[in-house]
Amino acid sequence: MDAPAVEARGVEKWYGPMPAVRGIEFALGGGEFLTIFGPNGAGKSTLLRMLCGAVRPTRGTVRIAGDDVRGEEEGWRRKIGLLSHQTFLYPGLSAAENLDFYARLYSLPDRKARVAEALRGVGLLDRAADRVRTLSRGMQQRLALARTLLHDPEVVFLDEPYTGLDPHASAMLRAVLDRLKDGRRTVVLVTHNLSQGLEQADRVAVQVGGRWVSDERRGQIDPARWERDYTERVAAAV
Amino acid sequence: MLRYFAQAWAVARKDLLLEARSRERFVSMATFAVLVAVVFSLALDPAVRARDIAGAMLWVTVLFAGTLGLGRSFALEREADALTGVLVSPVPRGAVFLGKFLANLAIVLAVEAVVFPVFALFFGLRFAGALGGLVLVVVLATVGFMALGTLFSAMTAHTRHGETLLPILLLPLLIPVVIFAASATQRLLVGRPLVEIGGNLRMLLAIDLVFLFLCTAAFGSAMEE
Repeated sequence: MDAPAVEARGVEKWYGPMPAVRGIEFALGGGEFLTIFGPNGAGKSTLLRMLCGAVRPTRGTVRIAGDDVRGEEEGWRRKIGLLSHQTFLYPGLSAAENLDFYARLYSLPDRKARVAEALRGVGLLDRAADRVRTLSRGMQQRLALARTLLHDPEVVFLDEPYTGLDPHASAMLRAVLDRLKDGRRTVVLVTHNLSQGLEQADRVAVQVGGRWVSDERRGQIDPARWERDYTERVAAAV
Repeated sequence: MLRYFAQAWAVARKDLLLEARSRERFVSMATFAVLVAVVFSLALDPAVRARDIAGAMLWVTVLFAGTLGLGRSFALEREADALTGVLVSPVPRGAVFLGKFLANLAIVLAVEAVVFPVFALFFGLRFAGALGGLVLVVVLATVGFMALGTLFSAMTAHTRHGETLLPILLLPLLIPVVIFAASATQRLLVGRPLVEIGGNLRMLLAIDLVFLFLCTAAFGSAMEE
């Protein structure tokens, strides 16, 4: 049997005496789309950063396709991509140079073709030579998406990717994210935007005060009622 | 192993490209160093022969100018949180360190290529006959300086008072480098033969190896949140 694409067992993060994430347990199969909702300060981003190995859990284990993210073997890093509201791009480099840099880090073959293809995929091929600082926020976020998908990751982590985008840029980003639901790629989205998060999810979790207070299949919930319940549940848990 | 060095080169290449575009660090370090040379030239008692203390003046200047530039090394990574993108990618932490170190080394060596002639001009120093030895001393001392500086720059980059903390933490640990580099430079400038500074060169090489090994190993922990 294949190992889960993403697996968390008893994951916790404490900053001194303050818990940020507590007792997270879940396993996500290949091709699933999980959305984690929660109010500001719920520890969602911290959880996501632990899932992709950027932050070390205080307790518990995270596995990507069976590999422990704290292990010596780092091959699992090739399987993941992280898109955040921060773009992880260098403003002083051009769009193409940024992608070329990441292509080098991932040791990708045919870098030029790959970079051009990625830029075409997000509609920025004609801005390839422009420095990132001259691009609009929406364009930068699309470029960040191209960076995230450049190495064709099996698991994509999205941390509030719509932050700061105007409706047009949001719609473009959503269209690209829809293409990610190809049945092969596993996606974990962290957001506090209920409509955007529910739309694409197969599975929905709510995190409050570092803990998951619910974890449901999207097919089992009525969106209108769920949104109403969510507000009450968050208020009660807070 | 080839991949490791290719990834390190990717990091160094990116830093050098950014520096070539902005020249921010080079210009600030070189300007600072030239200003220090001007201040020394005005403050020095005419009765003191500059040649006799040039080694110390040069290395103090390089140390402060280099520390000024090191503070910006990881600031590049803070904009748009690019460091997280690098750390999430399949690049060994040691390769990231090596890349940042190589870029810092190249930039500070370029600054030194300006500082030494400026000091020669201001204080009437003659490098002829000592140039080979001086290049050896400069490269060996700068390698140790940049190894430790790159690590401390990474450690202090995410702290609130990072730019203040960096020199406070770094400079005391660089005293051995300054001692061996300044005395070797001094001897070469007064016309002593290269063989006379063999001990200093060996000590600088040993310091470089220790700093490079320890800093590469410690860099991974420094990057952990």
